Amino acid sequence: MTTARLVAEKMGESPNFPLRVVDGLTLPPEYRKALMPGEDWKDSNGVSHQLPRYFYEVPSWDSAMKIELASHFLLWEFIQVDVREAPPLRTFPRYVPCAITLLAVCLERFREAVGTLVHISANGGYRSPSHRFSKNATPHAWGTAANIYRIGDTYLDNRNAIERFSLIARETLPGIWTRPYGAPSGYAEDHLHLDLGYVLSVPRDVKS
Amino acid sequence: MIKKDAVAPSSAGSAATSREGALLHEIEKIEKEAGAKAIAVALRDNETGFELHYNADRWFHAASTIKVPILLGVFAAIDRGELLPHSRVHIRNRFLSVVENIPFRVESVRDANSAVHNAIGKMMRVDELAYHMITTSSNLATNLLLGVIGPESVTETLKELHVDEGIKLKRGVEDELAFEKGISNMVTANGLLRILVMLSEGKAFSPALSRRMMDIMHGQEFNQGIPARLPKGARVAHKTGEISTVAHDAGVVYLPKRKPYSLVILTEWDQNATGRSRTIATISHAIYETLTQSPTKDG
Repeated sequence: MTTARLVAEKMGESPNFPLRVVDGLTLPPEYRKALMPGEDWKDSNGVSHQLPRYFYEVPSWDSAMKIELASHFLLWEFIQVDVREAPPLRTFPRYVPCAITLLAVCLERFREAVGTLVHISANGGYRSPSHRFSKNATPHAWGTAANIYRIGDTYLDNRNAIERFSLIARETLPGIWTRPYGAPSGYAEDHLHLDLGYVLSVPRDVKS
Repeated sequence: MIKKDAVAPSSAGSAATSREGALLHEIEKIEKEAGAKAIAVALRDNETGFELHYNADRWFHAASTIKVPILLGVFAAIDRGELLPHSRVHIRNRFLSVVENIPFRVESVRDANSAVHNAIGKMMRVDELAYHMITTSSNLATNLLLGVIGPESVTETLKELHVDEGIKLKRGVEDELAFEKGISNMVTANGLLRILVMLSEGKAFSPALSRRMMDIMHGQEFNQGIPARLPKGARVAHKTGEISTVAHDAGVVYLPKRKPYSLVILTEWDQNATGRSRTIATISHAIYETLTQSPTKDG
């Protein structure tokens, strides 16, 4: 933990978080079209969920490489998207839902439980509702889901590894949901998907 | 008697006709001696306009030569601005068969390239994947690129460029379920030749993009076919293809002080046949000898 964080905690203050909070409704049209802030989006069962409205603005890849969301998780790990993401969201500044910090805290606890490095895959952290993988509402678009492809030296590409770490996740993180092992839609066979559900985070200092 | 299909007319006159005849006989002889089930050859020499077509409209399982049309599809997306060479692609080893969308993986032991498999979970650039797809014939890279651009866009590109005849792209590679059902990518020697000629003449999208594709093909690491018996000064931009019953090579041969020639050699064999690459190399050498002879010696 950094000295600044220790000092801040001693003083009973929140550690200084360097990212600006942005109301998605105030963003330029191309971003609003891609992020769909505050809009409803149906999941595969036809149930509507309200998409995040408030985002942290990430000014550069350099900053994403430096900002700690938890002791062992940097921001960049949550925002790796490939060419399937909507074009405006592949360049900086980038926008990530404020609930991403909750996911990072959960993953930190999970990392403590497994005792080794936890690797989030590309396209496996936050991805927008406009990402080509996003056919129905998915917690990835809320910033509350992670696809983990590797833990330590273990690749999660088989039933044994996925079910073993899935159990650890469920025992460690009350309320966490993990995708069952399998090939059909709704299952996962080459990663461990875990998510907190459709959590909306509204920072205290937003003015709307 | 030459049993094969028509030979295109050549501007080089009777000397060329004589050369064609001799070369066709030579190829037929090589085919018989090797015990191949079928051989097809298509050739176009940019220097003289000389062409040769031996069984060149016969369909063969494409094996990895299908990666040349896929490369064209990738560069079409770059040309349209939909992709950039440095666009990033998530490396994931999970694909859906064209048979009932059943998931399958590319087994790393069946893929000559480990670099792409080592990046699973991470991202690689489009140009890196294209390089691996061609130079070490990475099946994983191929399916990933096809996943980004879509097989239908490749077919559309071939049509737009008027090189769709002789190429049937039906699926990605290593789709065993599709293979068992007889759904395979198919090519003819003439089909692949049309693409190579277009590339060698710099007419695929732009001279610059054509050159970039040729640069990738120049990086080919499997050189037991067309280049094997060519002289040291020869440079070959090519793509091989091999499965249990076929062995192919398709490329553009650059020799000092002359324009290049495009050459496609497709071969089909019994499962346990040997000498497949050697046969391709022998045909390639025979063609080299013929093209580099003085025309007066033919008469």
